[in-house]
Amino acid sequence: MRTILALAVALIALAFAPLALKNYGIYLLTLWCVYVMAGMGLNLTVGYAGQMSIGHAAFLGIGAYAAAILMKLGWSFWMVLPVAALLCFAAGLVLGFPALRVQHHYLAFATLGFNVLMFLFFRNEEWLTGGTFGISGIPRPSFLHWSLERSGAYFYFTYASMIVLALVLAWLIRSPWGRAFAALRDNPIRAESLGINIMAYTLLAFAIGAAFAGIAGAYFAALVQFIEPAPFSLTASLMMLLMVIVGGSGRFFGPMLGVAIVILLPEWLRFMKDWYLVMFGLAVVGLMIWLPGGLLSIAGRPRRT
Amino acid sequence: MTPFLEVKDCRKHYGAIRAVDGVSFAVAPGEIVGVIGPNGSGKTTLFNAILGQIRPTSGHMQFCGEDITGMSPLALARRGVSRTFQTLQVFGQLSVRDNLIVAAQEFKGTLRSRLFAPPDAGLGRHADEMIELFRLQQVAHLPAGSLSYGQQKLIDIAMAFMPAPRLVLLDEPCAGVNPALVEQLRELLLELNRAQRGSFVVIEHNMDFVMRLCPRVICMVEGRVLAEGAPADVQSNRAVLEAYLGN
Repeated sequence: MRTILALAVALIALAFAPLALKNYGIYLLTLWCVYVMAGMGLNLTVGYAGQMSIGHAAFLGIGAYAAAILMKLGWSFWMVLPVAALLCFAAGLVLGFPALRVQHHYLAFATLGFNVLMFLFFRNEEWLTGGTFGISGIPRPSFLHWSLERSGAYFYFTYASMIVLALVLAWLIRSPWGRAFAALRDNPIRAESLGINIMAYTLLAFAIGAAFAGIAGAYFAALVQFIEPAPFSLTASLMMLLMVIVGGSGRFFGPMLGVAIVILLPEWLRFMKDWYLVMFGLAVVGLMIWLPGGLLSIAGRPRRT
Repeated sequence: MTPFLEVKDCRKHYGAIRAVDGVSFAVAPGEIVGVIGPNGSGKTTLFNAILGQIRPTSGHMQFCGEDITGMSPLALARRGVSRTFQTLQVFGQLSVRDNLIVAAQEFKGTLRSRLFAPPDAGLGRHADEMIELFRLQQVAHLPAGSLSYGQQKLIDIAMAFMPAPRLVLLDEPCAGVNPALVEQLRELLLELNRAQRGSFVVIEHNMDFVMRLCPRVICMVEGRVLAEGAPADVQSNRAVLEAYLGN
């Protein structure tokens, strides 16, 4: 009951937040929504299914570039969204195959390789992606007859979409699939001996996580309206993994908190001028030492009961 | 009676080491067979070869007339073959109830239908019955990993029986379990054997437990079957006394 009340308060407070913020604040809040969408997908892959991925930004990039290219060709955002999700779902399936052969840091390197490969593709295939010049002039979508050009309107649109995606994830992890993902994470050998198809669930964990990032990518492209390869680099993947771990990997609200820390904390620390990133780095190191289970581990609750 | 499980001349060699060296035995429907022998005699290797965890060097295994040699653990599970491991193998972060549900959920419907199934996959009542049978009501909603060794052992065994398997291979179910729980475990296994009518093969070092649970016992030494028969006969067998039980 207390959780529901706290959640309701947080949701309402966020809905009113743009009224008290300037354009840049609203932009940061919208960016938070976008990364929460992607982070929820990564949390499914890493936190719930126990796989390792440091290539998640590549999926965000695939979604963003697919959206940018197709919207520039005149496709509507609503047609682009399923394409971005399906494209990433398929790419996630492909990336899931190494996970059937290798685990832990070996898998980390396999996903890292995928990220580097995609980054080089975004940077070098100028005919399609615009290379380092990127793609500019990406239009914002409209919803029914409402224009979402203004930052406030686009925030509410992204915020609502994030809530819908969160509900989808909540339903997924409460379903028997969610329990099978957790079994895969906790003990794959035992899981297989109980008839759990670890191949299917491993691939699904990667594919669904990637589809979430693909959807986030489409929202990202329409938010920034100009994309180039940098936000989809290996560093971005590491930051996304950090978002999940800082909040609490395998905890539903982990990415919400983690993304807030990773995106907003450096902004709040800007008063320290040149020292703000140093302070941010130290804060992360301290957090990992004292709370390796993430900030939400303070509550000490089981991940799934 | 037609054998339910038939192991024919099973061998597993690691270079010059013959972990399992020509073992043959059969298990009838509903039968409980004990496998005893000193450490390193090849009992767990034999289990792993039967259950597809490792591929046997040679030999054949048949289950209900079907050749299951080299079949994956997943395929065997789907055919109604279940197991417990020598070490604890529960899903530590899932609740006890979820551990039991996940142990049986994959036997209901298809992968797609399970996505749209109710959260308990329609197994909540069955899980609660098993929780009651194993006297785990007080801890049913706690994460399995937070419980005592004995309680986790009970969960581990209860999970193996959740899908009502036709054949269960139990690897040292009494290891690390206190004497009071050992007796409870024996009664539970007899109850499950009566209720589910499955066949059990039990590896165990606790002689009292094996002798009182299993009408037939196989003694393995150095990868081979040294003696086979009624518990009293195996227990008094001179070769078994010399190689394993002592005087």
